[in-house]
Amino acid sequence: MELLTDWVEWLPRLLSGLWVSVQVTVLALVIGIPIGFVLAFMSSARNAIVRWLTIIVVEVGRGMPALVMLQMVYFGLPEAGVVLDSFAATVIALGLTTSAYTSEIIRAGLRAVPEGELEAADALGLKRGDIVRFILIPQGFRIALPTLMGFAILILQVSSLAFTLGLPELLSQAYSIGASTFEYLEVLTLAGILYLVITVPGGWLVENFEKRLSKHLA
Amino acid sequence: MTDPQPKAGETILRLNDIRKVYGDHVALGGVSLDVKRGEVVAIIGPSGSGKSTLLRCVNQLEVPDSGTLEVLGSNIDFAGRVSSADLLALRRKVGMVFQSFNLFPHMNVLRNVSFPQERVLGRSREEADKVSRDLLERVGLANKMENFPQKCSGGQQQRVAIARALALEPQIMLFDEPTSALDPELGLEVLAVMRRLADQGMTMVVVTHEIHFAAEVADRLIVMADGAIIEEGVPSELLAAPKTARAKQFLSAITDR
Repeated sequence: MELLTDWVEWLPRLLSGLWVSVQVTVLALVIGIPIGFVLAFMSSARNAIVRWLTIIVVEVGRGMPALVMLQMVYFGLPEAGVVLDSFAATVIALGLTTSAYTSEIIRAGLRAVPEGELEAADALGLKRGDIVRFILIPQGFRIALPTLMGFAILILQVSSLAFTLGLPELLSQAYSIGASTFEYLEVLTLAGILYLVITVPGGWLVENFEKRLSKHLA
Repeated sequence: MTDPQPKAGETILRLNDIRKVYGDHVALGGVSLDVKRGEVVAIIGPSGSGKSTLLRCVNQLEVPDSGTLEVLGSNIDFAGRVSSADLLALRRKVGMVFQSFNLFPHMNVLRNVSFPQERVLGRSREEADKVSRDLLERVGLANKMENFPQKCSGGQQQRVAIARALALEPQIMLFDEPTSALDPELGLEVLAVMRRLADQGMTMVVVTHEIHFAAEVADRLIVMADGAIIEEGVPSELLAAPKTARAKQFLSAITDR
């Protein structure tokens, strides 16, 4: 009973933390996915310099742990004269990580569009731009979508790392409640449940989506 | 399905000394071929003989290493670079049907036929749909227009692919083993459509294993082997009495089964 009353007392703070987590996640995706899209195209550019630079950027972005990325943007950039608050720094760092990862996901989706369809489009006399816009992107994106949705769920979890920047997201809130009540286990359990409330249905959604997709495109 | 045209008109497709090499494999060793307006040319030959490669050179899905190509008066010399404007102009005159249909799976049957018209010919959606409905009706698919390709049989998909190519009003149609991926009954539906197209005077180059179709519909039969044309002639004569041992061997392999 005591646990429940504690939870009810903590819930508003944790929910406000969750709201911050969701905000930085959504913003990181909104910024990162379009960049990922551009990187996906640049990584198969005909120009070798563009292609290799892109591949290096993507590999560095994917290879660097999100925690390091967060620290670099928040603590490193001020040395270069760019001072960001923890919210903006988190959005930017997670956005960069997102762009590097999603570029590979989107690239795989684009490559999964059957060669024969592209040949048919060529044979019909469609221009390169039309082929990309009407054949490649709609199908490649559809193929990539379940993986992208799975990645979005992952980024929500990764956003908990922003507690190291003092961003008042869900884990920070739970941690500070724990620090004042010493009931770490109880409050972290509730925080964990709140993450699950989003990630588990999100996972179902992805699964459901994948099934529908394979039915349509089989 | 354009207006009937007189048979055996002027030469509208001329391939001259086309060479294509992959690594150290010679796919085409200097092949020349003329096709007249309204002519139906069937190309047969064992796999790896270069027949599909030759067909694909006509609309530049393969770029030959050397040789020249003349389509309806415009010349392309493969010694130089082919500009993309020339390429698009060439492809507008030449339609192609593939073994694996290659419909766009995210568009329904009607969109598959209308969409290229809108982008390539600049037709409005209404105009394009009107042309598409008409063509789809003629290939026997009036009741399939709203279906997605996955819901169509292979024979139906191939007929959609033929309608899609015809909607752009090509002057020459290329068929790359159009029935090879189909079981025999479904193949017949497709052959019937092709036969009607030939009767209407369409210039056609057909790579095929359908020896009966070649015998009955083609004006000229070409046998290829090892990247070269080894024999050509009137189908009935060629089939009855092939001159080369290689052609004899191949023909007996496909007719004696």
